[in-house]
Amino acid sequence: MKESRSPILTDEELLMGLAEGTDDALTHLYRRYFPMVLHFVTTNSGNEDDAKDIYQEALIVLYEKVRNGSLELHCQLKTYLYSVGRRLWLKQLAQRSRFMVRDVETPASDEFVAGQIDEDLSVHEERDRQFDLMADSLTRLGEPCRTLLDDFYIQHLSMQEITEKFGYTNTDNAKTQKYKCLMRLKRLFFTEYKA
Amino acid sequence: METNEEKDIENILLAYGERVRFKQQLQAIQAGADMNAMRQDAKSYRSESTGAVRSLWQMYRTTLAVAASAAIITTFGSIFLYQTYQQSHKQEQQYSLLSKEIQAVKSSQRQLLNDYNGRGRGLSTNPAQVAGTGFLLTGDGYFVTNNHIVRDADSVYVQSTKGEVYKARVVYTDQSHDLAFLQLCDDNAFRTMPTVPYSFDARPSDLGERVYTLGYPREEIVYGEGYLSSGTGYRGDSTAYQVAIGVNPGNSGGPLLDEKGNVIGIISGKQTTSEGVSFAVKTNYLLEALNNIPVDSLKGQPLKLNRRNTLANLSRKQQIKRMQDYVYQVKVFKHKD
Repeated sequence: MKESRSPILTDEELLMGLAEGTDDALTHLYRRYFPMVLHFVTTNSGNEDDAKDIYQEALIVLYEKVRNGSLELHCQLKTYLYSVGRRLWLKQLAQRSRFMVRDVETPASDEFVAGQIDEDLSVHEERDRQFDLMADSLTRLGEPCRTLLDDFYIQHLSMQEITEKFGYTNTDNAKTQKYKCLMRLKRLFFTEYKA
Repeated sequence: METNEEKDIENILLAYGERVRFKQQLQAIQAGADMNAMRQDAKSYRSESTGAVRSLWQMYRTTLAVAASAAIITTFGSIFLYQTYQQSHKQEQQYSLLSKEIQAVKSSQRQLLNDYNGRGRGLSTNPAQVAGTGFLLTGDGYFVTNNHIVRDADSVYVQSTKGEVYKARVVYTDQSHDLAFLQLCDDNAFRTMPTVPYSFDARPSDLGERVYTLGYPREEIVYGEGYLSSGTGYRGDSTAYQVAIGVNPGNSGGPLLDEKGNVIGIISGKQTTSEGVSFAVKTNYLLEALNNIPVDSLKGQPLKLNRRNTLANLSRKQQIKRMQDYVYQVKVFKHKD
């Protein structure tokens, strides 16, 4: 069942593409390994949407590791993605109080690799918690702060563009506003985060 | 602290932004992906692994379950049996080298009494790290012991029963047979001794041969006797004998002598799991190793083994009395790393 793909990218090339965030690499990652996860989730009482979510999350785990340069792959990329996806789905199933899965692939059995995946996932969970809280804090921040910070840090608009968009008199003014907003966000975030 | 949090919040915000962006990108890729082809792939995945098997599975489920449990029981049963068998015959790591790691050497009274020129004092204040036994091959200072005693040594000293200490030079080592040859005559204090009273017998000795050894499991020379229990050593090692003799750390490198006072081997180790199972390298291999010593390591002093045995007609006690001057304790100092 090896379909002819052109060009056939190696794991290495895929990961490099992923680090650069190219659509091409992502498309390949989907085409190559999503069917595996899709099959796994659907044979274990999930549906297609569940599989999409799981695969998306697995890719996020991979992506964020690649991005901060902390990825050391000690197994095949396929095994890594399968194992991560499997864990994530198991967690979902556990919440639905089901604990058994039928494997369609061999998950990473090497103790070291399994330990590494455990760690990756706990880092991921922690980050999830952080990001959920961040989303929450941003909402509670209210306007115009939320949009201002969003424009600057997430949409990466320049200070000049923001000055114009919000009608500030000059960029310094905009910067001061941004700083104030950031301080408010910091307070909101950390009071929750540390508690 | 304040600035730290400021940096943190910026970083989290940026990372959060990146996550949001990446999710959107993934969303887009997913939407654009050819879901039908992937579903097809997933299905073929299924047929690869189960497919046709599935209907059979439904049919024979119970039979299979029974067969599987029988198989499991048999498998684990045999594994268990095999393991118990292995454990009872386990030989791994049961071979222990008999060099002695010394934490603190108590200097015996004898040593102090004989410490005329203060040479012994250096040793007692600076205890060696490894100790074993060794004995002279020739009266003029060639000496043999186990390689594992002098391995990685910074300096090697030998000490006689009288407490005299000489510095020794390692002339040659034979790792495969665990032998090391030393020379004492580098040390000016060493005076050539009369020819050694024992001879070396390279012919294989017979099972049941009464044997004895002298060694230094403690600061004092200790006699031990037993018999040859096998013509091969640890795990059938044909270069060694198995000897039923009680030896302890520190005995390593000691001579193994037969009734007549022929050296038939060198004590090298014992099996940790059973008492009185010791091993000795055969004299044959000692001679072989001797022949391998490069001529220039000998510094022009040929190594000629004694062929005449002067112990043969003596009683055991007399033998020991004559022998013990030729058996030394080997003290080894190592670089601590």
